[in-house]
Amino acid sequence: MAKYILKRLGYIIIVFFLLSILLFGIFKMVPGDPARLMVEGQKQSVSPEQYEMLYQQARVRLGLDKPIPVQYLSWMGNILQGDFGYSTVYRIPVKELIGPPMKNTIALNVVYYIFLFAIGIPLGIKCAVKKDTVFDTSLQVATMIGISIPSFISALIFIYLFAIKIPIFPISGMVTTGANFTGFRAFLDYLYHMALPIIVCLTGIGGLIRYVRGALLDALSMDYVRTARAKGLKEKTVIYKHAFRNAMIPITGWIVGSIVGIFGGAVIIETLFSWKGVGKLLIDSLNQHDYTVALSMQMFYILLGLAANLITDLCYCIVDPRIKLD
Amino acid sequence: MLFGKKKEKEQRSVLEEEQMQSPFRTIIKNLLENKLAMGGLIVFVSIFAMCFILPIWFHQDLNYQDPTQKNIAPGFSFLSVPSDLKDNAEVIEFGPTYGVGVDKDGYVYEWGQLTKNLKKIPADMGKVVDIAVGQDHVLAINDKGNLYTWGFNRMGLNVIPPELKGKKIADIEAGYQVSVVVTEDGKVVSWGNTSAVDISTANVKDEKVKEVKANIQTAIALTKDGKVISLAKKETALDNVPEEIQGKVEKIALTDKAAAAVLKDGTVKVWGNNHDHIFSVPEEVQGKAVDISGGRNHLVVVTEDGNAVAWGGNENKQATVPTKASNIAKLTSGYYQNCIIKEDGSVVTWGLKGYLLGTDNLGRNVFYRILKGGQMTMTVGFIAVIIQFAIGILVGGISGYYGGTVDILLMRLSEVVGSLPFIPLALILSALIGNKVSDVGRIIMIMLILGFLGWTGIAGLVRAQVLAERNKEFVVAAKALGVREKNIIFRHIVPNVMTIIIVQATISFATCMLTESGLSFLGFGVAEPIPSWGNMLNNCRSSEVISQYWWRWVFPSVVLGLCTVSINLFGDGLRRAVDPKANER
Repeated sequence: MAKYILKRLGYIIIVFFLLSILLFGIFKMVPGDPARLMVEGQKQSVSPEQYEMLYQQARVRLGLDKPIPVQYLSWMGNILQGDFGYSTVYRIPVKELIGPPMKNTIALNVVYYIFLFAIGIPLGIKCAVKKDTVFDTSLQVATMIGISIPSFISALIFIYLFAIKIPIFPISGMVTTGANFTGFRAFLDYLYHMALPIIVCLTGIGGLIRYVRGALLDALSMDYVRTARAKGLKEKTVIYKHAFRNAMIPITGWIVGSIVGIFGGAVIIETLFSWKGVGKLLIDSLNQHDYTVALSMQMFYILLGLAANLITDLCYCIVDPRIKLD
Repeated sequence: MLFGKKKEKEQRSVLEEEQMQSPFRTIIKNLLENKLAMGGLIVFVSIFAMCFILPIWFHQDLNYQDPTQKNIAPGFSFLSVPSDLKDNAEVIEFGPTYGVGVDKDGYVYEWGQLTKNLKKIPADMGKVVDIAVGQDHVLAINDKGNLYTWGFNRMGLNVIPPELKGKKIADIEAGYQVSVVVTEDGKVVSWGNTSAVDISTANVKDEKVKEVKANIQTAIALTKDGKVISLAKKETALDNVPEEIQGKVEKIALTDKAAAAVLKDGTVKVWGNNHDHIFSVPEEVQGKAVDISGGRNHLVVVTEDGNAVAWGGNENKQATVPTKASNIAKLTSGYYQNCIIKEDGSVVTWGLKGYLLGTDNLGRNVFYRILKGGQMTMTVGFIAVIIQFAIGILVGGISGYYGGTVDILLMRLSEVVGSLPFIPLALILSALIGNKVSDVGRIIMIMLILGFLGWTGIAGLVRAQVLAERNKEFVVAAKALGVREKNIIFRHIVPNVMTIIIVQATISFATCMLTESGLSFLGFGVAEPIPSWGNMLNNCRSSEVISQYWWRWVFPSVVLGLCTVSINLFGDGLRRAVDPKANER
């Protein structure tokens, strides 16, 4: 087990470095010279010679005078020491910049996942138990539609219905403007603004419902379920004690894999609802050509993806001792 | 099933029961029985056919923009002259999206798409004798010579200048957001948004003006002694009035960029900038013209025998004169609409009726953009899926067939690509590479990004299928015959797993369309002016658009939603048809 984890970690590190080289290369292809951008403002006030000198100084300061491999090494070295660089737009270190959006994203995602699991898993179980009834079939169609409709369309529909036609939710943002709530009241206000984005996210709940349904149906078709029924156990016991526990294996894997996703912001939803999370930060930094931030965020997302993969595999192994890691 | 009961299975004799059915026929039979899947197929095929066939007849330049036609709600009411007015019309004038008419008794009627202010017709006007219509305001004069104006009321448009008090008025005209009045003694007074419309009365200070014509940019004046003078402050092409016509002009008309005049001898002369073949005056009117009027890009002439002839831009059928147009008493054209009042007082109209699904913020036809956007979204999705499948089958086939180190390496690669966060990476690649390439290059890049990042699922599927097939007899037989390995994989094994690959392809197609739309929605996909279903929604995020201009987001959303839902329903049905075991679940 320990050997396996080490192997996977080593592999993650290799992939991470390979991708970082790739991304760094792509970012170096971007037109525009950050050093030029830095001294542009002084162009009018100083003589051309001085301007050229300032420009060269800026290049040295930003390390742009060195060859690209050296630039990569120093960039990577800084990242490993926890220095992600400097945002050219906000003029603060990227590390500080990412903090507050990260909190917002995690808050939104935690609430979302609570609702997702609280609704999705019971519905999935019910669908499996009532397979091929009207309930199941209609829910299958409904989830299919929910999965097929992109989140921005459901967002537009929900904004139109519940923020404009029947204004029960705020259209976007995170706090009621002009109302300086404090303490618990502020917290409630925060949750209130969270409601519509979460409802929109929940239109994609079909994925979980279908997954749970499939896993439980697989378990219900096993021989031990037939045995349990044959010996006269109550249907409830058969489903919840025998079948569902076995269905939990794939479901747990799914849950754990998605929980790693709480750090990653839903780009479209956050942008649409002006929720200041990491997804919106990424879009904003790309729109404002703040590539230091975008690059750091990208590395973060990649790390997250790779970690999710590893954690899911480990989780399968813990939950189901039959699975052997190699 | 949800829709209708399944038919009772036919009773077959034992012998028939033994008959074999090819797997392909079983799939088709299963599929045809699945009503949802067939419904999905029908919906998708109709949307597909609509997007690719309708634009053949129906064309609009993608770079086309028209601020006068922006944000128009769906409907065909521009030419719906009220029935009360139809038989006793005195004057009819057109604005960009509406019409205003006066009947012989002096009552004012309005129809088409009216703003709130336009509906506030002053009640105390008495008997109205003439009207003039601008972008969204109306100017009217009654039999006592009093001026009234309503509609758009900023820029001082609602204030009739005091110097007009007590003056007798000869002609009224309304431009984009500007009103122009000519008094009996030949003076011109203009007010309104003079920064948007280039009108200066200084050019005609010493002249006695008979009438003024305005378009959305400027105006020209005709003097009592038959001279034409441009009212523009800036130098425009309209200044180049041909010298030989000065003093002989009877009537004038303006299009966006050109001016036309009917001379005393009945010839028509056009000058300015030649757009939409506006200079090609039909030969049959030369020498016979008595009246002329102009819309945005077309001209209409009334000949001495009372018929109308039109030429110029015809994208809204504004230059297609109906055959009923004879015995003309009065002709008016405005924007893309035309109207003639016959000698018996009846009204014939032609031109732009409205838009099926409205227009967007730049005045572009939403219906046409949905069709074109559908072409784009489907093409991008289709090619992306082809790329995904080419890579997926190649990697999965090799990986599954050879196993061992090759398998491990390829599957690790697939795992890495699969664990890359898709949207962020696509955003960054699109932002970084996208602004260096052309519009078409950008679209190709989106296809490549979707293709090269999305093949891992298919590779895994193909690999699993190949693993299951590779030890079967037919493969062993092929090996024994000495068939090359490349051919064994791609000619013998892959065709056997093709059905499952096709199922996956349909579902991937829907996913690719969704991803493309998402990227375009965020502004990182297909770029304007080329439409895609995603980027049509890009500027519909504000609450103002969502609530007031609902047609701009509802229609693209409905089509995109219908399309992906139907593909997914079909894909799901296909999966069940191909793999009947899935039905047991």
